[in-house]
Amino acid sequence: MSDEEHHFESKADAGASKTYPQQAGTIRKNGYIVIKNRPCKVVEVSTSKTGKHGHAKCHFVGIDIFTAKKLEDIVPSSHNCDVPHVNRVDYQLIDISEDGFVSLLTDSGDTKDDLRLPTDESLLKQIKDGFAEGKDLVVSVMSAMGEEQICALKDIGPK
Amino acid sequence: MQGFSDGGADLAQLQTNMRNIEVACTSIQMHINPAAAEATILSLSQSPQPYTACRFILENSQVPNARFQAAGAIRDAAIREWSSLSTEERRSLISFCLCFVMQHASSPEGYVLAKVSSVAAQLMKRGWLDFSEAEKEAFFYQVNQAILGAHGIDVQFIGVNFLESLVSEFSPSTSSAMGLPREFHEQCRTSLELNYLKMFYCWARDAALSVTNKIMEPNAVIPEVKVCTAALRLMLQILNWEFRNDTTSMKAGIDVFSAGVRHDNASSKRSECVLVQPGPAWFEVLISSGHVSWLLGLYAALRQKFSREGYWIDCPIAVSARKLIVQLCSLTGTIFPSDNGKMQENHLLQLLSGILQWIDPPDVVSKAIEEGKSESEMLDGCRALLSIATATTPFVFDQLLKAIRPCGTLSLLSTLMCEVVKVLMTNNTDEETWSWEARDILLDTWTILLVPTDGNGGDALLPPEGKHAAANLFSMIVESELKVASASVANDDGDSDYLQASISAMDERLSSYALIARAAIDVTIPLLTRLFSERFARLHQGRGVIDPTETLEELYSLLLITGHVLADEGEGETPLVPTAIQTHFADVVEAEKHPVVVLSGSIIRFAEQSMDPEVRANVFSPRLMEAVIWFLARWSHTYLMPLEETNCLSNDYQQHQSMNSKKALLSFFGEHNQGQVVLDIIVRISVMTLVSYPGEKDLQGLTCHHLLHTLVHRKTICFQLVSLESWRNLANAFTNEKSLFLLSSANQRSLAQTLVLSASGLRNSEAANQYVKGLMAHMTTYLVELSNRSDLKSVAHQPDIIMSVSCLLERLRGAASAAGPRRQRAMYEIGISVMNPVLHLLEVYKDESAVVYLLLKFIVDWVDGQISYLESRETAAVIDFCMRLLQLYSSHNIGKISISLSSTLLSEAKTEKYKDLRALLQLLSSLCSKDLVDFSSDSVEAAGINISQVVFFGLHIVTPLISLELLKYPKLCHDYFSLVSHILEVYPETLAQLNSEAFAHIIGTLDFGLHHQDLEVVNMCLGALKALAAYNYREICAGKTGLVSAGLGNLPEGIFSRFLRSLLQLLLFEDYSPDLVSAAADALLPLILIEQGLYQKLGNELIERQTNPALKSRLANALHSLTSSNHLSSRLDRVNYQRFRKNLNSFLVEVRGFLRTI
Repeated sequence: MSDEEHHFESKADAGASKTYPQQAGTIRKNGYIVIKNRPCKVVEVSTSKTGKHGHAKCHFVGIDIFTAKKLEDIVPSSHNCDVPHVNRVDYQLIDISEDGFVSLLTDSGDTKDDLRLPTDESLLKQIKDGFAEGKDLVVSVMSAMGEEQICALKDIGPK
Repeated sequence: MQGFSDGGADLAQLQTNMRNIEVACTSIQMHINPAAAEATILSLSQSPQPYTACRFILENSQVPNARFQAAGAIRDAAIREWSSLSTEERRSLISFCLCFVMQHASSPEGYVLAKVSSVAAQLMKRGWLDFSEAEKEAFFYQVNQAILGAHGIDVQFIGVNFLESLVSEFSPSTSSAMGLPREFHEQCRTSLELNYLKMFYCWARDAALSVTNKIMEPNAVIPEVKVCTAALRLMLQILNWEFRNDTTSMKAGIDVFSAGVRHDNASSKRSECVLVQPGPAWFEVLISSGHVSWLLGLYAALRQKFSREGYWIDCPIAVSARKLIVQLCSLTGTIFPSDNGKMQENHLLQLLSGILQWIDPPDVVSKAIEEGKSESEMLDGCRALLSIATATTPFVFDQLLKAIRPCGTLSLLSTLMCEVVKVLMTNNTDEETWSWEARDILLDTWTILLVPTDGNGGDALLPPEGKHAAANLFSMIVESELKVASASVANDDGDSDYLQASISAMDERLSSYALIARAAIDVTIPLLTRLFSERFARLHQGRGVIDPTETLEELYSLLLITGHVLADEGEGETPLVPTAIQTHFADVVEAEKHPVVVLSGSIIRFAEQSMDPEVRANVFSPRLMEAVIWFLARWSHTYLMPLEETNCLSNDYQQHQSMNSKKALLSFFGEHNQGQVVLDIIVRISVMTLVSYPGEKDLQGLTCHHLLHTLVHRKTICFQLVSLESWRNLANAFTNEKSLFLLSSANQRSLAQTLVLSASGLRNSEAANQYVKGLMAHMTTYLVELSNRSDLKSVAHQPDIIMSVSCLLERLRGAASAAGPRRQRAMYEIGISVMNPVLHLLEVYKDESAVVYLLLKFIVDWVDGQISYLESRETAAVIDFCMRLLQLYSSHNIGKISISLSSTLLSEAKTEKYKDLRALLQLLSSLCSKDLVDFSSDSVEAAGINISQVVFFGLHIVTPLISLELLKYPKLCHDYFSLVSHILEVYPETLAQLNSEAFAHIIGTLDFGLHHQDLEVVNMCLGALKALAAYNYREICAGKTGLVSAGLGNLPEGIFSRFLRSLLQLLLFEDYSPDLVSAAADALLPLILIEQGLYQKLGNELIERQTNPALKSRLANALHSLTSSNHLSSRLDRVNYQRFRKNLNSFLVEVRGFLRTI
């Protein structure tokens, strides 16, 4: 997908903004932050001063929630950072198509067919095996800044 | 691997064995197949009776490592098999080792000799309580002959060496483990101390004496030095012994030390310098026989002899001699006769005059060191001063030197330290240099001298000259600190964990500085005032022209130093005005002119300038502001509206001058005087730091946690606070202003807590509850409204909403943790009103771990603060809510598989889960406490609540989430097992009501816990096991069915038989701390009683497995007496438990040794 498509999608999304500004000093570990235009989960925050009698600055280490790449940033703690709007939705899994797409059941009863299977092997295996055994599976889909990915799985069906 | 055993060993066999071991030793060294080589060597020490093989190797092998290993094998095997060896065998092993070292005394492989020597010492200790006096005499005669030098220098050295290992074996801190109870080691220690230690000391002294003349001869290096060094080392080691018997005898002689010498336990605990108190029996050896003058003479002569060789100062003999001299300085206690400390003073004077040349004159000594001379002699001199200071009072300390010099010891100490500080100032590096070490030792010395020993303050004891010395030193110290501060601006390393770390690291040093300053308080306070005003003026004049950074850094240092001088750290208590400040300044009549008031006033006025935005931007950097806030917190804890003020006013009849000035000082900042004004300033400054320093977490943290906390913990201040306009402004800002939502989470929490606590200043609980409600109303409203929004699901995950929710939850949590009896009602209602919103939010944010954790923590703190006050109906509501919460949490998390590409994120997720579960366990523990602490008017049973069932139900929900994997988190593990063991001890009967899956899970975790390496966890598991088994046994005795029938019979094997097996396995074959034996005995007894049949079977199996008939019968006897000796009965009462503990202890000593090797 190109950048332009992102913008288009976000406009269609009832005006919901992709990111929100938030003061760097208030961003905490386990929260989210945008570093180098990627949505990240913050795994480390430390503060230091610029010079002995200067102002505080925050050092963030984040992990891209989609690619798991590690990213770092330093921001004066009174400045604003972008925080991504991260959403998670649970869907019941209806079908797995042969070309690697899944078919999911939304709350409103429609189907959502535009998601690929996850690339993570163990999750992929659990989904495929569970589905093959006929279990009722619920998948969590995480979305942020116009990207979507299956990130977790839960078995609600009978054993 | 029976091959190494003694049975049927012919020469060829012995030689093969030796070769095997030699090959193994060489291949280990060359890293060729080390595992196999290790196994070969291990098999030597593991095989039964390997003594002949070992001796053969020791005597014949050409490979020193093989001899070393053989010695080790003798030790391991003999300690293990000790109880089965005959007296003759035991004796011959020891004398073999002793003879071996004597015969090979000149061998170049010293480490082999040291090992054999230590083996002899360990075996001697193992048999210490069994050997007759005559047998011991025989050994020691041999040793004594050696030490006397009858067989030459090498043997003499070996003899001394052997005693060294022996003494270190007998000293509890250095003894090696022998698998015996502590009492054994204790008995050996006492026996050696009473009967042998002094004798050894004399032998060592005589050995040293015998070679002294030779050493002092002008010849260069001679072998006698080795003996002398070893002897000195042994003497030092003996003087390092923790003498115990003196303290018991001291109780009898009460008035032994009157003036002059302190011997109280407090003083010995306080310093790191250990006092040596060997008791009166040592008088002859150490004091009256001229021992000290011989030692000083020896050192001085050697010093003279080698005066040209710089290296000599660090030679072993010089080091040992100096250490011994320093050790002799700490000599005190009943060894000195009761003559008002005269004898001890003479003793110390003698030592001091010998030491003097190491440190005096200070400038020459320090110059020599800077030019490359070794510093160790000077440092030992400082240590000697520390020891002398520990053993005497400041007065005696000062007088010592006056006997031979015009000035006192304090002056010398001051000059010496000034010299050290000067050196520190000139070469200011981050590396640890000798001057650092010297400064620390000398500071310790001052601390020892100046810390008040009783409530009256030690400073009064300092003579005028000493005060002068202290004043000089303090101004030198301040000068150096300021210089270091202004220089540090240049080397800007940018990041380090500033204030907190630097303060706590410097704290100790600063409090020593403060002691010195207080010793000469009338000089040092004006000095500080002057230094401050100089810097204030410099800032004022140079504004906008000169870069103020250096001055700022100097002010930072000054604030820290002054804070320490003026006030003590409360450590949770309210600190009083330091005695020195209370009692001095008697001539001050007007409060405004009291030096302390002047100093405090100037700092507060300076701080107030930070309210001006322009000045703030130029002068008050975040770092300086941190120091200001820290100072204000420390200062106001002591001086602002002090408690003593009222007491002081009532004592009007004590009208003398010093009381007057004290009163003036105390009342100046009191509530009827300037107190309100100053409090108002402080509150305004606090609000300003929270609003005007955005993102400065450290500064705001200090304000919230330190300053504001200090204020609201004092009732007098709270009364004033709630009526202050500025405090109301803070409360308003807290509820309405955006900027305070930007504080970090911990600061949010703390601020909420502080504001709620300040309600204790209101006159009645109605007003307090009203106040709290007013403070928190907007937050509950927001949460309720948010959770009722129809579009909650879509808006909840917007970052701004998440931030507001987290912020409010932090505040609620802070407020909940501040709920005292007076404010409990308001907090209860607040909690009740957000119950449903909390559940809604938990549902919506189930994937937002940070919010989930906050929700749980809020509930945990809230329940913890409320539970003991609640009436039964309310309790029922709260418990119902907690169960819904637990179920909801569990339904979200059970069976969930989260996968992430990143291992960091995965382990983060695990940590989050661990924290959540820990919070849930805390919640259950709080609920548990309702059964123990309950302030309500009716009992909970009235409403049909059974706490135990509730908690078990909770555990039922939580345990499936706690995997063995998660139990690897130590804190979670600890919490879990303490909860489980508590529940099992108090409500064992409810366990039966759990379903079999949950039951099996709990039992499984117990089994896991039994093999945990944390002692406390194992202890708790054993406690739980004991409770469970004892309950079951009692049930069976009462004719009931016990736990087994209650739907739990479907386990493959009864749980108790399983635990009996695993506990026996643990006790007999695995490694564990001897401290666990008692707890294990308590668990084992009921298990044996329940499963008697199985126990018999297991015992028989053990006996069957034993091939050696002698060991077989021993094991059978031991097993028999385990359950029959000491009149053990089948009841579970205190006496019986005690008997069984004893039985188990002796059983383990008897059989563990040989069982473990099979």
